[in-house]
Parts: sequence; C-alpha cells; structure tokens
Amino acid sequence: MTIEQARQRANLLQGTLDMLILRTLLYGPMHGHQIGKNIQRTTNDFLQMQHGSLYPALHRLERRGWVTSKWEMAPDRNREFKYYRLTDKGRKQLVVEESQWKQMAEAVARIMWPAAEES
Amino acid sequence: MRWWRKRDAELERELESDLELEEEEQRENGLSAEEARYAARRAFGNETLIREQTHEAWGWMRLERLIEDLRYAMRLLMRAPGFTITCVLILAIGIGATTAIFSLVNTVLLRSLPFPESDRLVWVSQQDHSLPGVAPESLSYPDYFDWRAQNHTLDGIASYTGATVTMELKGESQRLDIQTVSSNFFRVLGAAPMLGRDLSWEDEKPGNHAVMLSYSFWQSQFGAEPEIVGKSITMNGHSYTVAGVMPEGFEFPIENPAPVFWKSIADEAEGKSPASEQRGFDTLSVIARLRQGVTVEQAKADLSVIAGNLARQYPDNNKQYSSALVEPELAHMTGDTRPAMRVLFGAVSLVLLLVCANVAGLLLARGSKRSAEFALRAAIGASPAAIIRQLLLESLSLSLCGGMAGIALAFGLIRAMLTLMPVEIPRIESASIDGRVLVFVLIVSVATGLLFGAFPAWRLSRSAPARALREAGRSLAGGRAQHRLHNGLVVVQTAIGMVLLIGAGLLMRSFVRILDVNPGFDSKHVLTSRVGVPFDETKHDQHYIFYQQLLERISALPGVQAVSAGWPLPMSRFNATVSFNIQGRPVAMGDQPSESLGLAMPGYFETMKIPLMAGRDFGEQDGLTGQPTIIVNQAFARKYFPHDHPIGQHIQVGVGDGLFEHPVREIVGVIGDIKRKGLTADADPQYYLPYAQALITNPYLVVKTNGGPAAMQAAIGAAVHELDRSVPVYQAATMEEYLYKSAAQPRFQTFLLSCFAVIALALAAIGLYGLLSYMVVQRTFEIGLRIALGAQRGDALRMIVLRGLTLALAGLVLGMAASAVLTRLISGMLFGIRPTDPLTLAATAALLLAVSVAASCVPAFRASRLDPMKTLREQ
Repeated sequence: MTIEQARQRANLLQGTLDMLILRTLLYGPMHGHQIGKNIQRTTNDFLQMQHGSLYPALHRLERRGWVTSKWEMAPDRNREFKYYRLTDKGRKQLVVEESQWKQMAEAVARIMWPAAEES
Repeated sequence: MRWWRKRDAELERELESDLELEEEEQRENGLSAEEARYAARRAFGNETLIREQTHEAWGWMRLERLIEDLRYAMRLLMRAPGFTITCVLILAIGIGATTAIFSLVNTVLLRSLPFPESDRLVWVSQQDHSLPGVAPESLSYPDYFDWRAQNHTLDGIASYTGATVTMELKGESQRLDIQTVSSNFFRVLGAAPMLGRDLSWEDEKPGNHAVMLSYSFWQSQFGAEPEIVGKSITMNGHSYTVAGVMPEGFEFPIENPAPVFWKSIADEAEGKSPASEQRGFDTLSVIARLRQGVTVEQAKADLSVIAGNLARQYPDNNKQYSSALVEPELAHMTGDTRPAMRVLFGAVSLVLLLVCANVAGLLLARGSKRSAEFALRAAIGASPAAIIRQLLLESLSLSLCGGMAGIALAFGLIRAMLTLMPVEIPRIESASIDGRVLVFVLIVSVATGLLFGAFPAWRLSRSAPARALREAGRSLAGGRAQHRLHNGLVVVQTAIGMVLLIGAGLLMRSFVRILDVNPGFDSKHVLTSRVGVPFDETKHDQHYIFYQQLLERISALPGVQAVSAGWPLPMSRFNATVSFNIQGRPVAMGDQPSESLGLAMPGYFETMKIPLMAGRDFGEQDGLTGQPTIIVNQAFARKYFPHDHPIGQHIQVGVGDGLFEHPVREIVGVIGDIKRKGLTADADPQYYLPYAQALITNPYLVVKTNGGPAAMQAAIGAAVHELDRSVPVYQAATMEEYLYKSAAQPRFQTFLLSCFAVIALALAAIGLYGLLSYMVVQRTFEIGLRIALGAQRGDALRMIVLRGLTLALAGLVLGMAASAVLTRLISGMLFGIRPTDPLTLAATAALLLAVSVAASCVPAFRASRLDPMKTLREQ
C-alpha cells in the first residue's frame, strides 16, 4: 500500500472514526488501547481496524480541542497511561457529527430500501 | 527545539504502552512471548506510517521539512565558501544601499510628526493671486487674528515666526535663534510644558513678556534648575518671565538651528506702530489643528471665505490674497525633497534588480555544475516541487545572509550620507534603522531571494534526469535554454547599468553646468559676518556711525583689501520684497509692484565685485542727511524701464525706519544681476537703498582679504569688541561656503547617483565576465578541438570577445530605450541640459562598451591559451 492510498483510506474513515472515538469517550476517560478495544468489542470485531490508526485521530481531536489528554496512573495497575477526556466542545461536536451521520444514513436508506419508508 | 523532542518522546511512550498492553493480552490468550509480540504489531499496524500521520495531525510536518531543507541548504553553502561569500557580498551591497536610502525616505517622508494625532496638523497660508501657480504668502498679525476668530473648521490655529535676539550668557553677548509664537502654539501642537505653565491668552497683551524654554537650553544655561520658573531673563535689553520648560525632544518648527526658546507675542503689540496692528506686515507662519472629522479641503474652503472677505474689506493690503492654502503639515514640510527622494529610491531599486540578475547568473552557472545531483534526486523520486523548494531555500538563505550583512553596511552608509547631506532637509539628521526599516529589509531580502532564485530553480527542476546523468561527467551540460536565460540575465544587467550610467552622467553634466554659472559676484577671499547692534537703545545716527567706525577699523587691519556691508547676502535665506511706485505711473494702492529689497553701504558692490553698469555707487553723499537715492539691477531696469533710461527716474519705496519715511528716491546707478536665491534660479529684479537711509536690520559685513579669509575672523571680532563689548558677532562664514551650500543638494544627488552607477557598472562587468568564463569552461572541449584542427588562437579570442560585445550591445540598446522613458523623471533635477543630451549618451555608451570589452578579454585570453592536447586528453 502506498502512502497515497493509505492517506485516501484514512480520509474516508476519518470522519466516522472521529465520531466513534468521541462517542466512546462519553463513558469516561480512557487511554488509547482502551478506546480501541472498546470500539472493537462493541462492534463485535466488525470494524477490523488496526488500533494504531487511532493515534493520529486522537492527536487530531486534541489539536481541535475536542478532547484533552493527561498522563495518569491507571487504577488497576501501577503505571501511567495517557488518558483522553471529552471536552465540552467535543460533546457539542459529537451531537453535530451524530446528526450528520443520521441524515446521511437516512438518505442512503431511502435510496436502498424505498419500500421501507412507505410502511 | 526541546519541546518538540519531548512531544516526540511522549508519542513514542504512548504507542509503546499500547503495544505492551496488546502483547500482554495476546500472551494471556496463550501465545508465546515472541508470537505475542508479532501479533501485537500486526494488530497495531504500520508504526512508521502512524507516527508520520500523527506528526501531520500536529500540523508541524511542513515546518519540520522546511527546517530540514534549510539545514541542508546551509550545509551546502558552507561547503562552497567562495561562492557563498561572493553572493552574500553582492547581495549586501544591493540590500545595504537600498536599506540606507529607504531609511532616509522613512525618516524624512514616512515617519509621522512627533505630536499627538499629528495627521490633523495642517500648514496654513494665503495664496498670492498676483503670481502664477501656487504662491504662498505669510500672514500678518491682523489677518491671523481674524482667521483665528472667524474659522469654523479648526480646533486651533497658531502663529510662529523666527527671530534672532541678543542675550548675555556666561558673561558674553550671544545671538540666539528663537521663535515668537501665539499663546496657543503649544496647545495646537498637542504639547505641554514639563515644568511651569503653558502660555495663556494674557501673554499676548502688551507688557506680558513670557518665554517658554527648550529642554536643552534649560539644561545648558540654567543647570536644569527647577526654580527657573517665574524668574526673569533679559534679552534685547528687555526682561521676560520664564513661564515654563518644554519636555526633552520637543522641537517646532523643525529646522536647523532649532529654536532655543519661544517667546509670547506681547512685545509685537508694543511701541508706536506695533506689528500686531499692521495688516501689510506679512511675516507669520501658521500651523493649525483640524477639528475631528474635518478634511483639508473643508478647512481650505472655510479659510478662503475669511480671506475673501478680508480682501474686500482691506483692498490696500489684502487685495491679491483672496484665498487660503491648506496642506497637511508633514506633506508641506517634506514637499521639496519628495522628487529627489523618489529618484534616489528608484535608482537604488534598479541597483537591487541588477544585483538579483547578477546573483541569478552565479546560481545558474553553479546550478549546472550540480545538475547531476538534482538529476539523481529526481531519479529517486524527488518531485519538481521538492527540488524547487530546496533551491529556493538555498537562495533565501543566501539573501537573508545578504540582508544581515546589508544592515551592517547600511549603518555605515547612513553615517556617511549624513556627513555629505545638505542639512536643509528637515529631520534628516535623525535617520536611523528602526523597526519599519528592519521589516523593509526582511521583505526585500525575501523578495530578492525569490526573484534571483526563481529562474535557476525553475530551470534545474525541468532538466531531464536521464540526459543530465549521462552528460554529468562531461562539461557539456547545460542546455540551450539555460544559455539563453543566462544571456538574458547579462543583457538585463547591462541595460540597468546603462540606465544608471546615463542618469548619473546627466546629473554630473548638469552639476558642472551649475558650477559654471556666473553668480554675478566674486566669492573668492570674502569673509562675512553680522554684528548684533541693538536698534532700540542706539540712536539712529549712532547706529550708522558705529558701522562707519567699524568699517574704518577693519580696513586698517593688515591683509584686508576692501570692506563694506550689505543685506541680504546672496545665497543666504533672507529676503524681503517691498512694494514701491514709480513716479509718473500712478496705480491703486493694492496694485503696486513689489520687488526684492537690498541695503548697501558705500563700497559694497566693489567689495563683492558686482559690476556697476551705469551711473554711480553709493557714496558719502548718500548718508543720513543726503538726498534719498536708490540703485537698481539690470533685471529691474529691463522690467520697469524697458524703453527709458533708468538713471534719474524716481521711485518711492514703502520702507520706513523712523528717519526716512517713504521718501521719493532718485535712481543713481544700475548694477549687474546677481544670483540671489541660488545658482540655478534666474536673477530676479532687485533694488538697493543706502544703508544710512534705511536702518531696518543689521547688514552683513563683507571683508575681502588677501589670503585665506577664515584666519581673519578673530581680528574682526576683536575690532568689533574694541568698539563695543556688548555687541555680539554671529553668522561668520566665507562667501565660498555660501556658494558651496547653494549647490549642496545637486552635489549630493549627483554623488549618490554616481556611486550607484559605479556599483552598477562593476556588477554588470562582473556578470558579463562570469558568463564568458563559464562559457569558456563549458566549451573547453570544443575550443580545444578547434585549435587542434587548425583554428588560430586569435579566432578563439575573437569569438569570446565578440560574444561579450554582442551581449553588451544588446544591453546598451535596451538600456537606451529604457532611459528614454526613465530620464524624463529626473528632468526636473537637471539644469541647462536636456535628458536626451547626445554627448552624455555617447560617452556613457563608450564607457559601457569599453568596460564590457575589458571584462570579456580575461576569459577570451584564457580560451586562446588552451592547450589542445591537454584539453582533449582530459575530456
């Protein structure tokens, strides 16, 4: 896979991935590995993503001010992890992205299953 | 840079911990340690890619790349110190000269006046409609008071007028330059005293003598003593109360010498016929502050209504002054210097352009040596954009280094220019490199770097890698297009050099013409000075007798050929035009002609070698009790007596000194014309009154000496003090100095433009030399082969010189065409010569061609000396 192809796929996924991360962080602060596991678990491993790809997204979200991060002790073990937290701005962004996603999903649904709408 | 290393380390730690957790999980699922590590990495993805993407998310990727490229560029430049130093030096000359001129422009034209909301300050005057064009006339006190009371557009309007006073300082009488100002003067400017009180309206009334001291005068004469406020000082024999002290740096009007203090106009309202009541006594300069939101045009319209009313009300004095002139103060102050500054800045910009072309040529030649390097880079995947970026960064680092060296050079240049500069340009002495100049340097450096880097970068980025790599070993590299570009650069340089040479040549020829002008008098060995004889205390005859005795004493000094006194001195800034009427030609009061007035003691014309054309000089008979007489110059005779013989005609001049009140005078002589205002100005009509019959100001002593006049100064001072210890001697200078000063502005312009032209010529020659040398190196093989096949060495020599000459000719033609347009811009600075002066053009062309041939000869000679065997073996 060339860098260019990878970049294209990243762009495609990017918007969705951002939303999923923000949604996941609604449960509370988590570090990168937890977020990845959480998304995988919730989608029953349907989203076969390499969780390394979370990190560019996390740093991007942080730069936009939607999440903040802090090195903190993990409660269950004796070492520090970089925990991400949703900010107020991030919460608002989640609402925006959610509604956009809904609109798109509905639009796609109307085209794919026109009968479903009638019923 | 530490913080972004830390950021990197943190990312590393974050990714690491993720991997570790994943590995742990995999181990818990029952994998062996090694298998677990692999699995974790698989699940994680491409680490390098993720790291890069994260960097990009930080938004620093571009900068990182830039810094890397910059470091690389610097390393490359360090590796070729000869090339780098040459480029930086050439750039430093261009940027340094441009910066120095810009800092002058900035100081004189751009920097705002040092007063709050200075854009609302305007210069105000009245228009003299008896003269063509814009002809400002000073205001009289009654006019000023009416303008002050009746306007609706000004927050304030203040008057000021210069004076010199005699004051006893440290046991010695001295003449001081001061200003007489209306009481709102400081308020209009927006300044307030640091000590004491401001002047008040009361200070304008007779008897209320008040002065405001300047900071430097307070420091130097009163030891910065705060108790000075309220004390009185004595000048011209009168006592004045010190109202306050202005803060350090306050100066207005901005001129040389700066006023040492400002006195209220109270004493102008005193005496038998006070100046404050004479409507025809136009001596006031006026500055005003516009009301918020009022435009210059509105103020002009408002004041013109007042001036129009006054012209109707007082036709005797104000008839021709029926409208007002209003201009922003800054624009008015700098108006005279604007065209010259523009030309100098234009010339120095051309030098900078030439520098760009020159360095571009150097880069191009060097670039073709590096074509293999860039071909290799392109072959392993560098995009043209990446190559261009790399090359532009190199040229930018060069130009920024050049800019820094240029600033250092500019410091020196400014200092040098200030010592050569005619001091009459206001504010020039405070020229310095400030923030705005530094921003200018930065912009110029970047623009220069992009300009001279763009062509070579564009060329190199387009070379086909395969061909370049194949040819890299041989010195045939560099395509035809590249040669064309390089030739073009040389032609442009020659053309710019030609333009500057023509400009400098024209100014030089014009300057020689100026020096050739006959001023109408002989300045050799003439020493001048003034003595401050007080008018109020000395009786009329005593005053004149003092001068008579003084002249007698001075003429007895050894080394003195002749001595007399007169006023105004030619080339000094003093002038008075006074109206008169010619007997037998009655006109209305307001329509009287007026011309420039002069005063002379017997022997003045003889001492100054001003020729007597008809009649006689003033003599003893034109004394205090003699018949009233007058002498006119030829221009006056031509203008007013074109058909009659002027001698014996009668003129009544509107000058009174108490003893002689407007007598009818007989013309007894006609003298030659003199250049009163300056060498380039036309001689204007002038008339002279015998000093004894018009004691209105202290005249200049003029002393013709046998040897160096400057040595005489002390003896003259001693002669004055023998007569009266309390009379100060001031404004001592030789007549040569006045002449020198009057040509200072063209001398300065000519000097600077010639410097630019010399730099341009040298750079153009270097550019041509560089191109031809490069050509010889590139064509070594070909030339060697030709010689081996029987070509004469002279042929090789001719080929190269011809090539140089062709390029020079192309540049010359281009430069001539360009200067046909550009020299029109300096036609206003030329005297007695047209911008298309054929001699200048021919001489310039000859010089340029000679230098071009000289520059071509060295590489041509090198080509003719090639050893064919050696050349062919090496290739």
